[in-house]
Amino acid sequence: MHTQEKHKIDFSFREKLNGIAEGYRHNFCYQCGACVADCPAGMYSDHFNPRLILLKALLGFEDELIRPDSEIWDCTNCYTCAERCPQDVRPVDVIIALKNLCVRTGNAPELILKTSDPVLTSGITTKITSVVDRRRQEMGLAPVGTYPVDELKKITEGD
Amino acid sequence: MKYIPFFGCMMTTKYPWFEASVRKTVARVGMELVDVDGFTCCPDPIYFQARNKMDWYTVAARNLTLAEDLGHDIITTCSGCTATLSEVNLALKEDNDLKDQVNSRLKKIGREFKGSINVWHAVKVLRDDFGMDRIEATVKRPLEGLKVAVHYGCHLLKPSRVMRVDDPDHPTILENMLRAIGATPIHHEKTLLCCGRACMSEDIPNQMVADILDNIKSHQADCMGLICPTCFDEFDVGQIILGRKLKRSFDVPVIYYFQLLGLAQGMDMKEVGLHMHKVKVDHLLDMVAV
Repeated sequence: MHTQEKHKIDFSFREKLNGIAEGYRHNFCYQCGACVADCPAGMYSDHFNPRLILLKALLGFEDELIRPDSEIWDCTNCYTCAERCPQDVRPVDVIIALKNLCVRTGNAPELILKTSDPVLTSGITTKITSVVDRRRQEMGLAPVGTYPVDELKKITEGD
Repeated sequence: MKYIPFFGCMMTTKYPWFEASVRKTVARVGMELVDVDGFTCCPDPIYFQARNKMDWYTVAARNLTLAEDLGHDIITTCSGCTATLSEVNLALKEDNDLKDQVNSRLKKIGREFKGSINVWHAVKVLRDDFGMDRIEATVKRPLEGLKVAVHYGCHLLKPSRVMRVDDPDHPTILENMLRAIGATPIHHEKTLLCCGRACMSEDIPNQMVADILDNIKSHQADCMGLICPTCFDEFDVGQIILGRKLKRSFDVPVIYYFQLLGLAQGMDMKEVGLHMHKVKVDHLLDMVAV
């Protein structure tokens, strides 16, 4: 929108987004802009604007949103926009749905899978090194237990 | 009263001294913790939720069912865990279709989400179920003269519909909890600003962290006080890394609320792990006569 390039409007993108959890909320957006002023990512950059992200979703500018270097990845997940939105769109939840769509279509930054993979392979996000239990012992804490990775595999294979 | 603590990944592995501080301090206030085996990552509300929201709901729901088995509410001690577990718990209680989808997955491991417990950040439970008087009664050494710049972080308060802790724009809970231990809370212009951790680009969080730390300095606060290990990571080790990049030093000590509570209850620096911080806090301890 800030560029002079012409974009093709594609309302079929709405259907795609409707199929992702919480994605349907974008349909309620009437572009009032209440989400913009207190958005921290917007305050500290010249490219992040939740209202414009919602507009691009409504108009179906898929090639701008669904890519690893899309502005959606600069959302701080702070939920201030959800507080401000009079329509219960919760722009942050629509942004998360857009992120899910990126992952599903192979358009997510590498960091997303790299950081979330350990949850499924080891049960936690952080690394358990030999230092961990030593430090826990020093603080009078029990060692780290085992994580039921097999259970996580069973319940996340649904898609 | 009994509660099930959910310490999450960061505190369990990277900052166990926070876990130790919570355990020691809440016991003195009278909170009984019942540990549960088998918790996994909450899972994290940034990367894991971005990856697949249905998986996010399901893994969180599995954790919730472990607490439901024992019938006690969960207390969280990290804003990320709060964001995930409180949000998923409420979403599944409110949306039967979603609950059915998640339960059809949980059935594969013989579990079922019932919606029979609540999830709250530990500071909310301290305020509402115990009260400031009970906290004050455990103080042996009030932190008089210690000016603590309050950092709320996002998910103690937001989404407010889910968290139900305080007015998200004019909160008072942390200020009151600091007053209860004799410290002076400093509410500065960036008290409510996000730590920026979830941003992919480096530039945005770098500016946020610098802005917050500069504001704290301009108010002559002695340290920053917060309630989330991820925010802590961003401001403690994060401030050193950012300082190197910007060729300047901030020197703002960062302290987790339950460490301050521990000091006020008479614990020493090592008991609450203050010696492990990257930004040194020793000079503060002279002030509060430890």
